[in-house]
Amino acid sequence: MVSAGEATVKLRGVAKRYADIIAVDYVDLDVKYGEILGLLGPNGSGKSTTLKMILALIRPDSGSVSVLGIEAEDDPVAVKRQVGYVPESPRLYEFLTGLEYLDFVGDIYGLDASEKKGRIEEYLEAMELEGREGDMISSYSQGMKQKIALISAFLHKPKLLLLDEPLSGLDPRSARIVKDLLRKLTAQGVTTIMSTHILEIAQAMCDRIAIMYEGRLLALGNMKELRQKARLPGSDLEDVFLKLTGTEDVREVVEALLK
Amino acid sequence: MNWKTVLRLVSVDVKSGRLIRGQRLRRYRERRVFQYLLYGGACVLGIAVGLGGGIFYTAVPDSDLRTLFYEGARLLFLSFPTMVLLYSLVFTTMSQIQRMGVRSSIQLPYWLPITWEEHTLASTIAHLIGLPLASIILFSSAIATVSIYLETTPLAILTILTLLASAFLASTTTEIFRVLQTRLIGAVYKSSGKAAVWVRFLGSLIFLIAFYVVWFSLTSGGGSIALIEMLTSAQEAVWFIPYVWLGVALASFMNGLLAQTVIFSLASLLFILVLFYVAVKLNARFGLYEPPAITVSRGAYVPKVGFLGKLGFSSLEAAVIRKDFKAFTRRRELMYVFITPLVVILVPLMQYLGIYGGPVPPEASRFLSAWILLAPGAIMAVMLGTMIIGEEGGSVWLFFSSPITARNLVKSKYAFIIIFSCIVMLVCGVIGILIARPSLDIAIVLLIESVLLIFALGAVSLRAGIKGADFTEVPRPRMVRPLTVVVYGLLCLLLALAIFSPLLLHEVTMGYIPVPVSLPKIDLYVAVSISAVIAVIVTFVFYKIALAAAEKFLTEAEV
Repeated sequence: MVSAGEATVKLRGVAKRYADIIAVDYVDLDVKYGEILGLLGPNGSGKSTTLKMILALIRPDSGSVSVLGIEAEDDPVAVKRQVGYVPESPRLYEFLTGLEYLDFVGDIYGLDASEKKGRIEEYLEAMELEGREGDMISSYSQGMKQKIALISAFLHKPKLLLLDEPLSGLDPRSARIVKDLLRKLTAQGVTTIMSTHILEIAQAMCDRIAIMYEGRLLALGNMKELRQKARLPGSDLEDVFLKLTGTEDVREVVEALLK
Repeated sequence: MNWKTVLRLVSVDVKSGRLIRGQRLRRYRERRVFQYLLYGGACVLGIAVGLGGGIFYTAVPDSDLRTLFYEGARLLFLSFPTMVLLYSLVFTTMSQIQRMGVRSSIQLPYWLPITWEEHTLASTIAHLIGLPLASIILFSSAIATVSIYLETTPLAILTILTLLASAFLASTTTEIFRVLQTRLIGAVYKSSGKAAVWVRFLGSLIFLIAFYVVWFSLTSGGGSIALIEMLTSAQEAVWFIPYVWLGVALASFMNGLLAQTVIFSLASLLFILVLFYVAVKLNARFGLYEPPAITVSRGAYVPKVGFLGKLGFSSLEAAVIRKDFKAFTRRRELMYVFITPLVVILVPLMQYLGIYGGPVPPEASRFLSAWILLAPGAIMAVMLGTMIIGEEGGSVWLFFSSPITARNLVKSKYAFIIIFSCIVMLVCGVIGILIARPSLDIAIVLLIESVLLIFALGAVSLRAGIKGADFTEVPRPRMVRPLTVVVYGLLCLLLALAIFSPLLLHEVTMGYIPVPVSLPKIDLYVAVSISAVIAVIVTFVFYKIALAAAEKFLTEAEV
């Protein structure tokens, strides 16, 4: 186990290829204990693959991934036990009710009955799913499904949260609850790695931000450090991101589209 | 109507059926060869049948036999339109039933400028892609080839045209059925409240069993000959039913009644147009209808402890078993697993009881009881095993991302296969014992053999299910790769024979199965013991292989 001041996640020379596509290109990254790290990058930049390698879902072709002091490749099940994961567009068992799904996830993580009941009821109330928890998930809206996926990631009190677009489809109240919850969990020592395209959220929530581009880690640091790196003092994350990823030709693209 | 739009929509549907999971999920592979192999094969087979018939016709010196063949072929032509109509109705309805459970199935993009006419026509044509089209090609190529020898080309052309019209008629009917059932299901959910899950389960089961029993009654053995005889003789008697008008038109043409041919052909065309119009209107009215939510539970949440824990399952394993039980009773696309074992006993039973087909001699009861007690549980084990991993579909990410070990996965899935198959075996066994009334010895031995088969074939098919898992859900859940099903299906058959062979030997040596030589007698219980040893070895070996496969499956999860 790791404690304050240590890195919860350590990536050393991690690379992953899919045939001729380089998904992740020799990335070194330390994620500190109890921080929220924002993982940003254009589509196909390797964010989701990186998250999956941290969760031991995918084996890297080279390099090593250490999570909470456990080598992911050596003991993937031990890593998964400590992690809460929400993938991008999670598919849930639509034939189960929301309650049955959470009950199932609780059992998968070995929660005892009273603990499971208490947590499920608290989360259902907080996410305003009460009254619909007995309905089959097939009838839920996208936002409701996202709430169920988030609750299932929080349910077993994980030490590391891996969230791929966690606020996608959430109503403002639920999004606020999730943001506040993540901050509170951080104070309790929970580490969060969050991949998102919503830069305002990343800027407001994350202690540090990692920007990935074409599988490489382009930049890593807090807002001040990123501004310095981009040589854009006083700019917001959007400008910094566009500058660092070399995709700041937005105005020309828009003008071309309007022709 | 924009025909290009219709063609593009049909092509989207065809392509959706080609999504085959490759080893690398990032690489989408289209296997065009396999797509057209079915139609090419049907065409070649049809031509071969036609050539065979034609050569036989010209080679036969006996003019009476030639006349008989000629008349027989004409009668067969006559039955084709209604036969194709029935077959197409069955194929297209089954295809729809499999799709219905998948909400994410091909949703035609309603937000695009596509009219309901274009949508309905594309959907109607798309229903026919696959087996219905292959059977039309098979029949058409056989008819066209044999007609050259019989010198009945005009009749052959008209027959082929009526075949196409029959298939379209069937497909349009299915389209209407599809829209109506969606609306009907919505009404059932609304009115039955919490019981909706069970109402749906039992309703689907009864519908599917009735459907399959009728289908097998019509197509198996003497049933198909009776069907052809019935179609050729009775369709003119029921001329007022629009569905036989195409057959009546063909019969009129054969009899030289041209005016009647034209009238019934035009009436058929009009009927198809009216049905198509109804389908368009129903789609416009209910096409976007979403059935209301099924509320399964209300009130305070009480976590269930259950009896699985007492049987030695961890909370994780018990959760997976409970989840699978819900999947197989709530997902309509999975409900057909119940059908095969039930139909397997219903069809011979109906034959035995003389409901259809010829009478069965009383001595057949020994084999009937063996069949009813052995087959359903074993078939259930094989079917469940092959699909139990692939049925997870897109939700399988939860298995990969949660702390499930290979041991947990195999133990829970295998336990589910055994429990479910044993329930089916017991239910079917009771029916079999009550009807075939085997002796107590035979009944006990067959039940033991059935359990042995369930354990052994369950392990083999679970290995197949892990190895050939296919998580594709669009346009219908695939669950397992077809090649895996064929290979492991044959393996299961061979292993079942190996397990059952000591009992067969017992039957032979005791004289129940006559052989020309006399053999030393093998005691029934000795035979059962040898059978049990073989089953235990098969179970052990394949359970271990399944464990190794699950290990690989979980560690190489490329999601």
